[in-house]
Amino acid sequence: MPQDLAEVYRTTYRALVRFLYRKVWDAERAEDLAQEAFVRAVVHKPDNARGWLFIVAANMARDEARRAARERRHLTLLTAEPQESRSATDEALDVESDRARVRAALDELSPRDREVLLLWDAGLSYEEIAAQTGLARGAIGTTLSRARRRLVQAYEAGKPGEHVARG
Amino acid sequence: MSHVDDGTLHTYLDGELAPAEARGVDAHVAQCPACRERLEEERALITRAGELLALAAPPDRELPPFRAGDVRPPTRLWWRVRLPLAWAATIVLALGIGTYLGRGVEQGRRAETPADTAPARLRALEAPIRPEQAQRESRVAARGTARKPAAAPVAAQGFVRLDGERDGLKGSPIGVDTARALLGGDPLAVPGAPIRAVYRARELGYSAVVIVEQVLDSNTVIEVVNRRRSPMALDQVVVTAAPAARADSVSAPERAVPSRARVADSLAAAPAERAAARLSRRFANLEIQISGPVSSDSLRKLLELVQPLKP
Repeated sequence: MPQDLAEVYRTTYRALVRFLYRKVWDAERAEDLAQEAFVRAVVHKPDNARGWLFIVAANMARDEARRAARERRHLTLLTAEPQESRSATDEALDVESDRARVRAALDELSPRDREVLLLWDAGLSYEEIAAQTGLARGAIGTTLSRARRRLVQAYEAGKPGEHVARG
Repeated sequence: MSHVDDGTLHTYLDGELAPAEARGVDAHVAQCPACRERLEEERALITRAGELLALAAPPDRELPPFRAGDVRPPTRLWWRVRLPLAWAATIVLALGIGTYLGRGVEQGRRAETPADTAPARLRALEAPIRPEQAQRESRVAARGTARKPAAAPVAAQGFVRLDGERDGLKGSPIGVDTARALLGGDPLAVPGAPIRAVYRARELGYSAVVIVEQVLDSNTVIEVVNRRRSPMALDQVVVTAAPAARADSVSAPERAVPSRARVADSLAAAPAERAAARLSRRFANLEIQISGPVSSDSLRKLLELVQPLKP
């Protein structure tokens, strides 16, 4: 079992971090959560470790988001969001603003479309995504086509928008 | 073929379409300029969406070492596992004490010496797996002791009963269907003899034990014990059983066990002393044993008669 899990770790860890990052938007935190997911896998020894890890990760990210939302309510008046600070160099600013725009575009998606898109981008197959989301396998393609279209549209629409003040 | 919908196009481009369907899309796109154009549009859309997501990717870092082992100390894991075990032990103890006391009332005192409390064969069967079990039980018992000191002397008694008495713990009456489910097949019984009750029982080394109580005559009740071995003990069985004995053997009782004397069953109002012999026989994956206040020859004959109880 540890051998198997070590292999899953090698092949899935980065995908899991990638998946988590788009949910918590903090690289350190995403890595911590991914590690935590693997710790739980060691304890629970699930049959399908890969699928199981993504389910656990999604749950942890949801809990995390709730907690963050609670905390944000308290902190809004005290501190500014990191994304809104404009003290970095232009280049870093561009990277940061791109990321913020993608994030904003992802937020425009329905939760289910977003989940499917993120799972696909993390490397899960249609089969695995279906098992994870409860959608029929035949519905994944349609969901993905809609999610991709909305993501690109929302991104293009937000380009000159409120997140960046270029030039 | 009608035009290809977006979902199918994406499934196709993602390489997730079944081969037969993919060939259908190929064929249609080859002769439909509109769908060919859409296919390219969707391909571009997928590429673009992928690029955008890549913009929002976490920084690419080295794969950190798998630190799962040291994040949480194993003690916490143990705590999780042992708490339910402690509960289970408490229940087993309660049942054990109840059965023990109940038998005492029901049957009076039995004259037993340690040497004949368990047939030699059973001892041999259980011996290899016992150290581990004993260890586990003692740990659980120790835990129970720590949590509830008053239970300690009883705890010891309860486990003595489990280990020393071959009967294990006779539980509550069950239906034949339940017995079937427990044993994974039809329970065995002596054909023709009325069944008074079927009990579930617990015994070390067996995943399921079902006792069929049958009435031979107004004074005589026999117990047909159906035991299904637990997977853990399987290799031990192979090692310790007589080499000639195959698991599927249904021939004569190959390994008759020494009978032991038993003080009369007071409920049966029988004469003072009667031999209660025990014999056993394999039947597919079940180990069948009959006990009752009749001669060992009779038991041996009865044992040859046992048949699966058909629904």
